Amino acid sequence: MRFIYLTICLSIILNFAGCSSKNIEKPSEAALYEAKENNAVNGDVEEFSDEFKTEEVYDPFSGYNRFMTGFNDGAYEYVLKPVSKGYKTVLHVEIRESVRNFFNNLYFPMRFANNILQGKLSYASEEGARFVLNTTVGIAGLFDPAKSCFELQAHEEDFGQTLGFYGVGSGPHIVLPLLGPSNLRDMISLYPDSLLSPIDYNERRYWTLTDTLAEYLEAKSLENINYMSLNMDRYEKMRKDAVDLYPYLRDVYEQYRNKQIKE
Amino acid sequence: MKKVYKNVMLMLFFIMAFGQNLAANEQVELKKHFLKKIDEVILVVEDKKLSKDSRNGNIIKCLTPMFDFELMAKLSLGNKWKELSKENQDKFVALYVERMKQSYSSKIDAYKDEKVEVKKIDQSQEGRIAFVTDLVSKEQKLEIVYKFHKPKEKRNDKDSWLIYDVEILGVSILKTDIAQFKEFLQTKSITELIDALSKQS
Repeated sequence: MRFIYLTICLSIILNFAGCSSKNIEKPSEAALYEAKENNAVNGDVEEFSDEFKTEEVYDPFSGYNRFMTGFNDGAYEYVLKPVSKGYKTVLHVEIRESVRNFFNNLYFPMRFANNILQGKLSYASEEGARFVLNTTVGIAGLFDPAKSCFELQAHEEDFGQTLGFYGVGSGPHIVLPLLGPSNLRDMISLYPDSLLSPIDYNERRYWTLTDTLAEYLEAKSLENINYMSLNMDRYEKMRKDAVDLYPYLRDVYEQYRNKQIKE
Repeated sequence: MKKVYKNVMLMLFFIMAFGQNLAANEQVELKKHFLKKIDEVILVVEDKKLSKDSRNGNIIKCLTPMFDFELMAKLSLGNKWKELSKENQDKFVALYVERMKQSYSSKIDAYKDEKVEVKKIDQSQEGRIAFVTDLVSKEQKLEIVYKFHKPKEKRNDKDSWLIYDVEILGVSILKTDIAQFKEFLQTKSITELIDALSKQS
């Protein structure tokens, strides 16, 4: 008998709890319902409005950003695309994949440090194992046996994500020349990340692959042209979905970064 | 009195258990249906005998019953939708649907030796289910979320659960469109948006 009372009480409490939590989650449900009744045709828009409240991107530099997006798009169309196409026809896909693997392997210190800074220790150790395997068995990172044989995944983390992880907001959106969409947080983060990169031209106490600005630009160009040759149609397919290229790329970038930070 | 309580409790338990089962069954059914559809699309994509046009046509034919493109069109305009005349609403929906179909078939066209794995099912509220999937290829895993809703009335040429948004690596197609159109309409008119969309297709 006690058990039955207990269950009834529990179910009543749970019911109330359910109702109150519902109220907290959706305060405007009654209002939405009313609006739906009034205008059945537009009901769908109301019903989904809670899900599609878009957060506006803070964009005080939109004029400059628009100009730079146009510049970058032109640079892609008239320089990067033809050069990458030529590069693609000359080099076999497997060689290009090896070049990509080589560069990815070089950025290990950046990924490792940022995984540690975010307390993602298992990811950091996976990265460590990848680096050791790929640098040795994978011949200086040209091959990726860590993934193909041992299923060790790369975990992309950069300082921008680390700052985001600790709650630093993105700040205004800024389109960087040639590098494309970014924001204040991610732009500032390029510097600490570059300190961990062996491709750099500033004075360092440790070994770097490039010593002068010219060498740095050469290496970076090779990396980017190689990347583009492997992902040729990605940008173009994306560009086709844009009614207005700048806000489109801006939103895609910010949504993508938010997702990376949440992970 | 005891008996009454017992009966009430028993009934309650049955209703709860049955209700939950129903929801679980619905998820299982939808998952089965979704994976079957994906297999169908992959078969079309891999059929190298077909010309590119007929391949795209077949992809669209497979996908159309799964997607609520009309709802996406409405939602993409947000509150502006209500301000449109009936004629403009119809025009806009037709253009948006066409744009979505083209965008999808061109993206799916690039599928190669890839498979789809459902790794999580989220049911945030009644009538809405999200499948968190991985598109697995030799190179990488791509997280894609398909969001389904169940319209109150089933439409003739459509499935009972329909996709209203797709998130690729956290980028929601619908959210991006909402933001794009909103910004466009701040300085330009709806007729200009309709023109811009018709130029795209």
